[in-house]
Amino acid sequence: MARLTTESTVYVTYIATTPEKCWEAVTTSAFTKLYFFGRSIESDWRIGGDIVYRTPDGTVDVQGKILECDPPHYVRFTWHVEMIPELSHLPDSIVSYRIERAGENVVRFTMTEEHPAPLDERLLEGGRWGWPLILSGLKSVLETGKMFKADPPGAPPAMQEYFKELRK
Amino acid sequence: MNKAKQVYVTYIRSTREKVWDAITNPEVTRQYWGHNNVSEWKPGATWEHRRVSNSSVDIAGKVIETSPPKRLVISWANPANLHDADKVSRVTFDLEDMVDLVRLTVTHDELEPDSDMLRGINRGWPLVLSSLKSLLETGKPIDIMNLKSSPDAAKL
Repeated sequence: MARLTTESTVYVTYIATTPEKCWEAVTTSAFTKLYFFGRSIESDWRIGGDIVYRTPDGTVDVQGKILECDPPHYVRFTWHVEMIPELSHLPDSIVSYRIERAGENVVRFTMTEEHPAPLDERLLEGGRWGWPLILSGLKSVLETGKMFKADPPGAPPAMQEYFKELRK
Repeated sequence: MNKAKQVYVTYIRSTREKVWDAITNPEVTRQYWGHNNVSEWKPGATWEHRRVSNSSVDIAGKVIETSPPKRLVISWANPANLHDADKVSRVTFDLEDMVDLVRLTVTHDELEPDSDMLRGINRGWPLVLSSLKSLLETGKPIDIMNLKSSPDAAKL
């Protein structure tokens, strides 16, 4: 029996950079293409405006609406997966990025994934699998100017099991 | 009692040998963690987390399992609580190779729910792992002992 959850997942990393530079890395495609599995990002960063993550071939991966935006410190938006058919029927999640100055040339970066509508717990594994790799890449890009080689991780076992049940 | 568990995953452009050394060699831990991790790193041996500034032992425990450079399991407690089983938690470091990366997973479990230790490590691990990654990738750690709004970090 699937367990449902509304639990949020939170990831924190500290990056040797400025809030302005970190904001640029989160909101411009020149950076996201490096560390976000090749995704570009499009938004006018206004409340109510659209936000889109797109794969290199132009496919919309994720679509959402900006709920809050306070450059260069905070943005919060709805998150709807378009590209993976097994996930596109799901209710929206909410993703936010918070950038705080934690010291001289150090920011504390907090990424939060909220799930206001109850979700199958196994789906959270997808985020637990992918976000640490994305955030590690963001940090490497800002601190070293280079991205490491990494393939997008496939769906974790719990998610594969979820997909299998859907197909039954 | 229901114990708490936290998992922290970070990807570091490095080798498992270097990451292993960065966890177990006090000459390296002092650079990014503000503490010397001191032990023989053999099963059953004690380990101590000694603050660089004044040598106080902030955390201590025993080595439970060691298989360099893949997996290290240690117990973890405030030294005053070492004999109170409820207050002794457990930390597992798993190191996996991925192309030119190491996936480092820190699993901290057997934690007392709603405890100062749980709150402390939840602030501390992201700091420590961020600083470790910076040191190995850029040669320069994050000065975690002198950050704003991180009072708990000084102990970890």
